[in-house]
Amino acid sequence: MTTAINDDLWSAIGDPTRRRMLDLLLADGGGTATTLSEQLPVTRQAVAKHLGVLDRVGLVHVTPAGREMRYQVDDAQLARAVAQLSQVGATWDARLRRIKLIAEAIQRSTEQ
Amino acid sequence: MEYGTIEREFHIDAPPEVVFDVISSPVHIREWWDAETDIELVSGATGELVWADEATDRAHVSPITVVEAQPPRLFSFRWVYPDDAAAAPDNSLLVTFRLAASDRGTVVRMTEAGFREKGWEIAVLEEQYTEHVTGWDLFLPRMAEYVKHLVSVQ
Repeated sequence: MTTAINDDLWSAIGDPTRRRMLDLLLADGGGTATTLSEQLPVTRQAVAKHLGVLDRVGLVHVTPAGREMRYQVDDAQLARAVAQLSQVGATWDARLRRIKLIAEAIQRSTEQ
Repeated sequence: MEYGTIEREFHIDAPPEVVFDVISSPVHIREWWDAETDIELVSGATGELVWADEATDRAHVSPITVVEAQPPRLFSFRWVYPDDAAAAPDNSLLVTFRLAASDRGTVVRMTEAGFREKGWEIAVLEEQYTEHVTGWDLFLPRMAEYVKHLVSVQ
């Protein structure tokens, strides 16, 4: 298996405002563009735009709530993002271990 | 330690010439990276890293561009960028291997940089770096708890 990298997912989570929004959605168990904008130094319109980005990569899902849309963090997609992120370092460690094993095996065979 | 970079340093009981060959030659890249590649050790050379799975020989393909190849001291390349673009600092990951002879062996220093440009700050934070952008102090501990919870209910 390789590092199959989902650029859209990383771009979505790479923005500080969007990460803060995910944080608030996790803390509050969900929210709307209005409730989020009340807790952030950005306009409701900007929040709505960010929510659209998160929605497109599946990090949030949407349900109608009165005149607004209610957003919640998608458990599976967030877990997937976190798992892949923590894999970045670990996969290099595995590759580097293999480089070491191969090089040392070659060296031992030439010394014999 | 530069923010936005994975760094690893380790010792190999083999001389730099051997280590350089293992790191950079397609026959060995196949072993340590499971990838087929046609890359040549020339600055600016481009090629592909190709991973197979059970179903297809080209399950994953990443372009690769050699940045520097100075046997046996330095090998660097860019990968993970769009197929239709040239590798550049803002669209790719830069992997650098620096080799130094040491006590009948080699000290290898490997870095992978470019996460920040690609929106990968979170990956760096997973690496336990201390510098945070605003918002992470709250977000990360809570996310760790959250993921623990997800794992425990599965």
